[in-house]
Amino acid sequence: MQTVGEIMTKELVMVKPEDSVAKVAKLMERTKIGGLPVVEGGRLVGIITSRDIRRCHPNRLIADAMTKEVVTVPPTCSLWEAKELLERHGIERLVVVDGDCPVGVVTKSLLYAEIGKHIDALTGLHKAEFIHRKALELLQDGKEIAVIFLDLDNFGAVDKKLGHVVGDEILCRVAKIWGDIVEEGFDYLSRYAGDEFAVVTVKPLEEARELALRMVNAISEEKWPLGVKVSASAGVAGGRRASARQGDFESYTLSDLINMASLASTRAKKQGRQVVVAGEIELREAGCI
Amino acid sequence: MSSKTGSYLRGPEPLRKAEMTIRLSEFEIPPMQDALLVGKKAPIGPEAVRRMVDALSPEQYEIIRVEHQVFEAAVLKRSLLKLLPAEKLLPILLEECERVADEQAVVKAQVNIVIQVNRAVDL
Repeated sequence: MQTVGEIMTKELVMVKPEDSVAKVAKLMERTKIGGLPVVEGGRLVGIITSRDIRRCHPNRLIADAMTKEVVTVPPTCSLWEAKELLERHGIERLVVVDGDCPVGVVTKSLLYAEIGKHIDALTGLHKAEFIHRKALELLQDGKEIAVIFLDLDNFGAVDKKLGHVVGDEILCRVAKIWGDIVEEGFDYLSRYAGDEFAVVTVKPLEEARELALRMVNAISEEKWPLGVKVSASAGVAGGRRASARQGDFESYTLSDLINMASLASTRAKKQGRQVVVAGEIELREAGCI
Repeated sequence: MSSKTGSYLRGPEPLRKAEMTIRLSEFEIPPMQDALLVGKKAPIGPEAVRRMVDALSPEQYEIIRVEHQVFEAAVLKRSLLKLLPAEKLLPILLEECERVADEQAVVKAQVNIVIQVNRAVDL
């Protein structure tokens, strides 16, 4: 999972508590920075923002104008956790600290731009890259995962018959329906490519199969515009690392798992079944992948 | 217009002098008296006051941050607080000062406390 340490601004402009508001206001204007960490003896003691500056008399000390409760993150914090913190606190920037010492700043615009690279503009879902990173993170945490690969049936024909605008509307609705079914903190949904979607889940294989079935059924039961019939096929792959298995562990990679789920979904489509489970496989320790 | 004509318009050079008045008086230490109330938008804040008080009159004043619509802190002389505790003195000071000051002000107050005691003893 990408971390704030990888994208943060490392060239910090910092001020001292004994600086005046007038001096810092000029500094902010010159540097075009709307929030500066306040540091005393190398330690972070506050943050001064342009909003704080506007509220205070220019003669005041920064110590009397700054916000003392600073929301900080370590460089190892993921972009998604950082985004959640920014939104929860309604702030524009996070100070990245190593212990008490500020080492960088990550702004909302920088964070959103970076996260935007991993968000599908049409559906608002994460892109495939996110699923790969999330799955790897889960494996590194020693969790077992299962992958559900979902493919809309004969969707190319819908595009050809009704046009891409209707096709895009359907894709958005599919994303919404499936987004409502998956469980936050357990299942991670993404638009994998075109009319293909993928879910990485920490649920056991049988529960993953049930989830896949619910997702496929939800699409079949939905009333679609212009009377179009939309259906999906799903493949599920997962396994237990703990169970004994002989053979070449190198081949059991995360990509294999996604590939197996994808092939299972193709098999489901060919066999006219809703869900096909690829079978249990073992995953190597994440560090070896 | 010729330069000669221009010189007719200018008057004689004015005489410039500087007058100086000096008023000498003793700098009051500390510069505040018994109490100081700091407005929320005053030119100095509680931290600046704390640094000033610590430098000029160490250990003689107490800084109390207050939740108030006009003021954000009060600086009270510790000797006063021996006569009247802060929880009695502060509400009165805040009530009186908010009548005459706004958020931009720093109000200096001189407080005289007279304690009256009547005691009776059996003869």
